[in-house]
Amino acid sequence: MFGYLVVLVISAATYALFGLGLNLQWGFTGLINFGHVAFMTVGAYTTVLLSAQGVPMAIAVLIGAALAAILGLLIGLSTLRLREDYLAIVTIGVSELIRLVVLNEEWLTRGTFGVQGFPLPLANLNGDYKTNLMILSLLVLGLVFWGLEWLVKSPWGRVLKAIREDEQVAKALGKNVFWYKLQSFMLGGAIAGVAGAFYAWQSTTIYPSSFEPLITFNVWTMVVLGGAGSNLGTILGAVIFWGYDSLTRFVLPQIIQLDDARLGALRIMIIGLILMVLMVWRPQGILGKKEELTLGK
Amino acid sequence: MANNSHNPLNSASDESPNGNRQRLLEIQAQTANGSANTKARAETEPPRPALPPLLAASGLCKSFGGIAAVDNAEIQVAQGSITGLIGPNGAGKTTLFNLLSNFISPDRGRIIFDGEPIQSLPPHQIAQRGMVRTFQVARVLSRLSVMENMLLAAQKQTGENFWSVWWQAQQIQREERQLREQATAILESIGLAHMASAYAGALSGGQRKLLEMGRALMAQPKLILLDEPAAGVNPTLIKEICDRIITWNREGLSFLIIEHNMDVIMSLCDRVWVLAEGRNLAVGTPEEIQNNPQVLEAYLGQ
Repeated sequence: MFGYLVVLVISAATYALFGLGLNLQWGFTGLINFGHVAFMTVGAYTTVLLSAQGVPMAIAVLIGAALAAILGLLIGLSTLRLREDYLAIVTIGVSELIRLVVLNEEWLTRGTFGVQGFPLPLANLNGDYKTNLMILSLLVLGLVFWGLEWLVKSPWGRVLKAIREDEQVAKALGKNVFWYKLQSFMLGGAIAGVAGAFYAWQSTTIYPSSFEPLITFNVWTMVVLGGAGSNLGTILGAVIFWGYDSLTRFVLPQIIQLDDARLGALRIMIIGLILMVLMVWRPQGILGKKEELTLGK
Repeated sequence: MANNSHNPLNSASDESPNGNRQRLLEIQAQTANGSANTKARAETEPPRPALPPLLAASGLCKSFGGIAAVDNAEIQVAQGSITGLIGPNGAGKTTLFNLLSNFISPDRGRIIFDGEPIQSLPPHQIAQRGMVRTFQVARVLSRLSVMENMLLAAQKQTGENFWSVWWQAQQIQREERQLREQATAILESIGLAHMASAYAGALSGGQRKLLEMGRALMAQPKLILLDEPAAGVNPTLIKEICDRIITWNREGLSFLIIEHNMDVIMSLCDRVWVLAEGRNLAVGTPEEIQNNPQVLEAYLGQ
């Protein structure tokens, strides 16, 4: 039981981290990123492949985050000048592109065989590996949360929020909208890259199929559930999502007699339903501010 | 002060005594008596030829599809002036604004602002150089507070640089405190101080217009482009907006104003440019424009 809880906490922390990156892009800057998993893929593969070559773990993670940010730069340079729906289309395409590259460039990533046996952090420390990883993931999550809170409350964050509200106004007031969008997109991508490293460390093996588009939509669910534009809400969203996931994993089979595949589908149906109910009953998300919805544009 | 008698305001009100304009006049006279540095606007008419214009655009063209929205248009705003831009609906006034601020890039033409060509600069750089525009339908940042709307507008903030946020926390705090004081003062002058912490999206239409003007002022520009500041605003508030424009103009700020409300144009402006079908139709003092038969035909109609 304790072991399971540890895994649950790591999963929630990883996804919370992942969600914080998306929340910066969508919740604070208004950028629609439907390919968030691409950043995670780049971060995960870069970290494990570099550390397998003997690069120190911390440096490998930083390079992974940097490469994820560079991916953000490339996507951003080509699409952030366009209307927001183009960004949504391009990001979803890029995330599939990255996954297919990982799948096919076997010399680098071993393709469908996946990468196993890469170095893990804190592995030679005393105690249980997963417990150590849990503590590390919570520390990193705390650090990133604090950093983001600091940022979004600064004048820098004010510019992002202004862009979210109306980028023409930001432009008219002398803000370089394109550059700020790019910064937000890159930073959100870098955070997702770090989340990718934890994702790899937690599962200790990674396959291209671990980075399906579904992951992006799961994290969207968490951000919307918690309340877009609230960092705390994103973390809460991740906790609820994983809490729901494990609760239904164990409880549902005992109530309803169904085979595994159908049960899996039912669980997804229920979370979809919860999301729909929430959108009607509390469209701003759990921690979102109600009054913001009543405002005119 | 004697020079008030030459003021376009006076001559405008001679034509047709209008309550609104009259009230404005009185207020201007009152404030003028109180302050020593009243602009000697009337003595140099047309505005001092010695100074180059603050904004000068010529040969501006912009077509949308086959329609020439702006066709070889010209406009000038003298230093320290309030310049009007009028014309019938669809004359290309707002397009001209968009061209001047480069929200839409012109097909052809030259725009000189403060002595330098700006037609190829991106909009945010034009704003940074001191030319700030407002929008025809007031645009506020709804889910930001009124105060945040104001603070955003300040230029050259240290805290807007990603790295400075981390390394120069103290300086940023100091700047924020100063900006807050500045913003509070402006909000008081436009009567929105009590709304400072409310969401900007909760403001009424007229209050939004005021906030947009206050926000433009917060950027400490040299020139503000106002697109229909009086549209959809009740008469009392129109008067208030006009008062503010006059006060800020006395402090050295220039304005270029698009407006359909003739009382506002006639009472505020030193010079008026008339645009029709994308082309310049006339330019002159408000009374010249009012008596120009071409303008009467094209714009005032009868």
